[in-house]
Amino acid sequence: MDFDGLVKGITDIGYDWHKQRIVQNSSGNVSFINKTVKALEPLEAEKANSAIVISAGPSLHYNDTLSVLASSDYKGTIIAIDGSYVKCLKAGVIPDYVITLDPHPTRIVRWFGDPDFEKNMAGDDYFSRQDLDIDFRENSLRQNRENIALVDEHANRSKLIIASTAPANLVQRAKAAGFDMYWWLPLVDDPNSEGSLTRQMYKLTKLPAINTGGNVGTAAWVFAQFWLKIKNIAVVGMDLGYRQDLPYKMTQGYPELVQMLGEENVTSELFPVIENPESGETYYTDPTYFWYRKNTLDLIANSGATLYNCTGGGILFGDGVRQIALQEFLSDYG
Amino acid sequence: MSDFLKGNYDLDEKIVDDTEQSTNTKDEFKQKALNSIGGSMVFVEREQYVWDGDEEDEK
Repeated sequence: MDFDGLVKGITDIGYDWHKQRIVQNSSGNVSFINKTVKALEPLEAEKANSAIVISAGPSLHYNDTLSVLASSDYKGTIIAIDGSYVKCLKAGVIPDYVITLDPHPTRIVRWFGDPDFEKNMAGDDYFSRQDLDIDFRENSLRQNRENIALVDEHANRSKLIIASTAPANLVQRAKAAGFDMYWWLPLVDDPNSEGSLTRQMYKLTKLPAINTGGNVGTAAWVFAQFWLKIKNIAVVGMDLGYRQDLPYKMTQGYPELVQMLGEENVTSELFPVIENPESGETYYTDPTYFWYRKNTLDLIANSGATLYNCTGGGILFGDGVRQIALQEFLSDYG
Repeated sequence: MSDFLKGNYDLDEKIVDDTEQSTNTKDEFKQKALNSIGGSMVFVEREQYVWDGDEEDEK
């Protein structure tokens, strides 16, 4: 199978499994839903004028994005995704909102400090293989304990925008940490289509549905743009590509590509190199990241909105995307 | 099937019913494939941004 075939196949992969999981989780969470995103207070002044969405791509590790933000007096809205939340806290950035989407039963809770870390990570190298933070990789247990304490200390300062599809252990962890939780429903398909999952989950939860673009980073942008209606929105850490010195083995889906295609067939053809026209730097991507990119660009193009990409590289460029330095965005909209 | 295939000879090669093994391999493959999409929703809607039900849900 070639690169295009893999990208096109992502939607079909595991359809039934995923379908079952998101509906089951939504059903299981009904009794915990006491506030929805409709209860969020309307934003005013600087908070309504601009937002920075902090995704968790590799640049967040390599660049000084978070320290720049922490040392600024930015007064706009800060939205972290689950995967960047602890990094934000460690850098001294307290998000207004933290958004989570993924239904995975053992992995997502890790972003908030996992009380069952050893059990949930046993035999699963998903994070350890990819983690660019060597300290975390080598001291996972200690780091996890520290993350639990850090999240427990700061959780009540951020609103958790939690999807109905969240796994039970994440809901329990969020409650224990003291998050103020606001629930939403992932708009995963056309509600008017036959057998729509969105409509099935809506009937269970009565939650308003928000488009996700297929990943939590894009969901955070949609939330800022179309729910909070913030005027100027920047994203950071939304690389959707890898630096060329990163071994293929450290990419998100490498073992699965090997499993599907055989190691001898996992060649550079599956990791096309793309030049960022703004920086002139090149990055390679993989089928999953490329699929995210396409979804995100489609949503931006269909909306007519402008997304300020302050990632400082990566492959998110195209119609409706304006690449500028984070400092420039802070200066113009902070 | 084995009830109908009885003979007075021994096969050199042992025949293994691999139906179950095949199913397990398929499930394992599917699980591996799912892992590759990590933090994704595999479903994507490209036209709408928010939706809050309609009269059909009141039925």
